[in-house]
Amino acid sequence: MPSPRWRKVLRDVWHHKARTLLVVLAIAIGIVGAGAVLNTWSLLRRVTSEGYLATNPASATLRTDSIDTALLEQVRAMPGIEAAEARRTVVGAAMTQGSWRTAILFAADDFSAARIGRIAAESGQWPPAEGMLTIERSSLEFSGAGLGDAVPVRVGDGPETPLRVSGVARDAGLAPGWMEHVVYGFISPATLARLGLPATLNQLLITVADRSQDRESVRTTAYRVKVLVESTGRTVSDVDVPEPGEHVHAAQINSLLYTQGAFGVLALLLSGFLVINLMAAMLTGQVREIGVMKTLGARPGQLAGMYLVLAFVLGLVACLIALPVAARLGHWYADFSASLLNFDTTGFRIPLWSLAVQLAVGTLLPVAAAAVPVIRGCRVPVSEALRDFGITGQGGAPGRILSRVGGPSRPLLLSLRNAFRRRQRMALTLVTLALGGAVYLGALNLRASIRNSVGYLFDDLLRYDMSIQLAAPHAADSLEAAALAVEGVEGAEAWVGKRAAVLRSDGVLGNAFPVGGIPSGSKMVAFPLDSGRWLGAGGANELVVNRRLLQDEPGLRLGGTVTLMLGGRPTQWTVVGVVASMPSASAFATREALGQAVADLRAGQLVVTAARSGEDAESQLIRRVREELAGAGFDVASAQLMAESRRVMEDHLLMVAGFLLLMSQAMIVVGGLGLASTMSLSVLERTREIGVLRAIGARHRAILAMVQIEGLVIALASWALAIPMSIPMSVVLGKAFGRIMLPVRIESLVPEPSGVGLWLVVVVVVSLVACAGPGIRATRITTAAALSYE
Amino acid sequence: MTPTPALIALSGVTRTFPGAGGGFTALADVSLTIRPGAFAAVVGPSGSGKSTLLGILSGIDRPTRGAVQVGDTAVHALTEREITAWRGRAVGVVFQFFQLLPTLTAAENVMLPMDFCRTWPVAERRARAQVLLDRLGVADQADKFPTTLSGGQQQRVAIARALANEPAVLLADEPTGNLDSRTAAAILELFAELSRAGQTVVMVTHEPSAIQLASQTIALVDGRVAAGAEGPHA
Repeated sequence: MPSPRWRKVLRDVWHHKARTLLVVLAIAIGIVGAGAVLNTWSLLRRVTSEGYLATNPASATLRTDSIDTALLEQVRAMPGIEAAEARRTVVGAAMTQGSWRTAILFAADDFSAARIGRIAAESGQWPPAEGMLTIERSSLEFSGAGLGDAVPVRVGDGPETPLRVSGVARDAGLAPGWMEHVVYGFISPATLARLGLPATLNQLLITVADRSQDRESVRTTAYRVKVLVESTGRTVSDVDVPEPGEHVHAAQINSLLYTQGAFGVLALLLSGFLVINLMAAMLTGQVREIGVMKTLGARPGQLAGMYLVLAFVLGLVACLIALPVAARLGHWYADFSASLLNFDTTGFRIPLWSLAVQLAVGTLLPVAAAAVPVIRGCRVPVSEALRDFGITGQGGAPGRILSRVGGPSRPLLLSLRNAFRRRQRMALTLVTLALGGAVYLGALNLRASIRNSVGYLFDDLLRYDMSIQLAAPHAADSLEAAALAVEGVEGAEAWVGKRAAVLRSDGVLGNAFPVGGIPSGSKMVAFPLDSGRWLGAGGANELVVNRRLLQDEPGLRLGGTVTLMLGGRPTQWTVVGVVASMPSASAFATREALGQAVADLRAGQLVVTAARSGEDAESQLIRRVREELAGAGFDVASAQLMAESRRVMEDHLLMVAGFLLLMSQAMIVVGGLGLASTMSLSVLERTREIGVLRAIGARHRAILAMVQIEGLVIALASWALAIPMSIPMSVVLGKAFGRIMLPVRIESLVPEPSGVGLWLVVVVVVSLVACAGPGIRATRITTAAALSYE
Repeated sequence: MTPTPALIALSGVTRTFPGAGGGFTALADVSLTIRPGAFAAVVGPSGSGKSTLLGILSGIDRPTRGAVQVGDTAVHALTEREITAWRGRAVGVVFQFFQLLPTLTAAENVMLPMDFCRTWPVAERRARAQVLLDRLGVADQADKFPTTLSGGQQQRVAIARALANEPAVLLADEPTGNLDSRTAAAILELFAELSRAGQTVVMVTHEPSAIQLASQTIALVDGRVAAGAEGPHA
């Protein structure tokens, strides 16, 4: 049997069930919010770094002619080389759900024995047998194919060959297929032959022995390998050296993690504010009893101990509820985020330290929040505590200003002044609600910005409606003429697509990147220029590079010349402009210049604008274009509606904004709880005043209105405060998101009127709901009870 | 006959409260003595300083000037921490509005001071509370919560609680002010009984019957002792 003072603590908790529950709930919500984010963060960090390194990614990849065992042995014997393996990557098309999609197929002798760029089997057979296709998981949903389906595959002008989907595997080193609109698959060399390709492997993957080397030293090693390979009479078309140990999407991953981390901290902060408010409320009701206990000989330490242990226990209970929920949410969101980045969380557990942090914060936060009011409460002189009749403040400066306002009716004036009586508490409540609102507005703004940016990308930068990949290259003029002959086609351009690499002054090749060869006066793209100018007319070797390429190749500069390895031949180019386009490195040249450089003027891609917009019309058009092109002798490998790409991109990006919105709504709930507790407290402290009001004739409605209006005053102030607070929020979210996915254009920093209006509705509803309970309680106060209130 | 030494001795106690217009003097140069076992009634009109005097005796309030001696303790010289410890053991306080903790039963309310001051072995506290409640005639209410008790019963429990740590002095601030006249009479008789049994009682009161029962009546007017600064020699 606990001693009387602990029994008192327990029974107080039980006696004020609603308030106790509110405290536990507030802590729990904070911990769930912050914990879920922390769990996601720690789990994702573990999954992405360990998951990526576990694949043993290649230090460098060289593209050459056929690779045999002898060459592999030679490379393996080189100093500084740990391992070498061979693959072949081919780009073709796969027919799924009635349309041809770009397919990237990887072939190796035995994937299951691969030590570099290990691929994890997920289901079905592994490695793929002859005639079988193992689909990479990130393109499974996008392709619509399922295990056992026969998927027609075609590479170049090779035969259309049905491959049976025999398994699903995951390659954590690939950008997700849904994001790239590519069907990734793994096949055996024998299957290559069926597709009409040489059954040999042409990609040399190496890992260096010293993993601490930086990118440039790895490149030097890779270049020595290139020299060796070339000494055997083979040609090396490009050498790709990724940033060692860093996933292709490392920057995106980090931005995603930090954005979420910031939200977690905010959620915790808000819940901390609420806990401070609630603890203060709890103590306010206890001031007199503290005085009595002091009279009975209780020392301040004993009293503080009672309330701080109580806070600790409430935190513990909240943690018991919150930790499992946070773990589940964290897992769920980490799963989702990981799938965005093509990682698998299976087998990974939330690190123990994350749970320990949550437990520590969950139990110590209420103790810390309670410390100030507890110490203050325990220090109140006994004589004062015993005289406690409620509050005496008049509303301070705002109250005095309001007293000069003549307009409003007396009861309204009372509500207004009441709101300002406990300024510290009011400030905490206000900030809590406003922060939630600011995040809410920021998330709404981000959602709008994502729509704008995706819209900007697809409407302003890429001005075509569909993109058609041809099975084989053809003369640009005849392709364009054939496309324009199709009814409903408004415009058509034939593009040339090549891969190039910068040949550096020391003879080392940079990473390969795509170069788009487009007509000089192209109306299909309009990338905004950072500097320089767009491509001029004619066949001059002019190059427009994007920002990312400029970052990757330090030798590049505006106005300078650069040697590109294109189709195995070095050619000189002048960089005339820099554009902000896609996040990956790319460049543009005129179709003519690119064609001359590779001695092949034919084009392999058509971009088309439709006369009538609308997805139905466009789907019909894309079918007609395909058929008529095929009829004219131009076989189509794959065709893609831009509207479809746009939707896929938008859907996934908006999911992230959706998560942020959900978080902000949780914060608003926390803010609402704060308001509810503030108002309960306000009613409790003014029991006597309310009794007096009743005695002088205030009706139920007037009392209820007084409480509701006081709540609304705070709510409206939060509403107004949230608007300026949302501006930095929007900037941070936009910047972080820009790094994660695509440059987000924030149209305007000022939140949209619709968002501000929505927030007003939300805050008013929250206030009405939060004040309902305290209001009803206030109406139940009788004059007699209030005036004898001791 | 040698006079019994005083249990309580105030000398030159002044208490002023700061405020507009130079403040307010609640007690002015009060000197008085109360002997052990006395039943002292403090009387006077509203605002005469009765409650301030009681506050100073209990260490809840401190004199602006002057000395307060209770037994061997110079109360005015103690630190806040020492006062708390001293009060818990040396003084039992009974309030007008009982001030029982609503979430503790009668017995638990009585055990609370023992718990705070660690005065009795844990195992004996409950039995002692029962004895005290029995002595005050409310033994059968031991396991009830204060809200279910009548005013008189609550005040009896409050007195039992004040006696929990065997204090040298029992201080009561208008203990009958919130009771009907019959219950009030019974409670006053109880105080008289305690006093006869050797318990020193100091009580602020308006009840004429209390003055009759008291062995010493201290009359305060405007913060000064008008009569009864020294009790009758025992």
